[in-house]
Amino acid sequence: MNEERRKILDMLAQGKITVDEAEKLLAAVGETGTGAAPETDASGRRSWKYLRIQVEPGSDSESGDRVNIRVPFKLIRAGLKFAAFIPREAHAKVNQAFKDKGLDIDLARITPQDLEEIVSNLDDMTIEVDGKDKVRIFCE
Amino acid sequence: MLPLIVRLKVKEPGRRGFGLWFPVIIVWALLAALMLVLLPFVLLAALVTLGRGPGPRLFLVYPLLGSVLWHLGGLTIDVDQKDSVFLIDFI
Repeated sequence: MNEERRKILDMLAQGKITVDEAEKLLAAVGETGTGAAPETDASGRRSWKYLRIQVEPGSDSESGDRVNIRVPFKLIRAGLKFAAFIPREAHAKVNQAFKDKGLDIDLARITPQDLEEIVSNLDDMTIEVDGKDKVRIFCE
Repeated sequence: MLPLIVRLKVKEPGRRGFGLWFPVIIVWALLAALMLVLLPFVLLAALVTLGRGPGPRLFLVYPLLGSVLWHLGGLTIDVDQKDSVFLIDFI
């Protein structure tokens, strides 16, 4: 990510500009061809570096809380490898916890390849929730 | 990349906050020394439990831990509430 995009996102995180203004600025930066497009890997797939989670207070927010989290994708991948350390005895408990939440998932059947696939497809994800607070989850 | 500095900012309601730039490389050096000391024991435990316990997984502890620490660089958690602030930034 180039410096201009970082500045815009920082201004957004600090509340100096709104999400709409940030989008316009990012689009403008992209049109000038100053590196808005992310790097691509050998397969031509975009390779984002960070997963970002931003929470900003909306216009009618009472709390005014702000959250800005940036997690390197490489750290997520490295952390997921620790899934191998979950003992088999704990699988039943984890599966039950998933089931209680309405997810029919068998932890024993999730392979490292599955996890890698999930992470590699996270870069296609952008979530924006406009409520009392504005929540954005995206990759950069 | 392995972070060399951690920026920490904490402020709780009703208390005076503090900000800190901590050279976390000191922690890595101490951790490396500790891991070196523990290495023979970990290897021994891995060999003893190779066939019927967590043996094979124990062989992975060091590379996985190293991988996680190495990729901590760039991790930022910034929570800014009305009266409290928490920021940790691995640089």
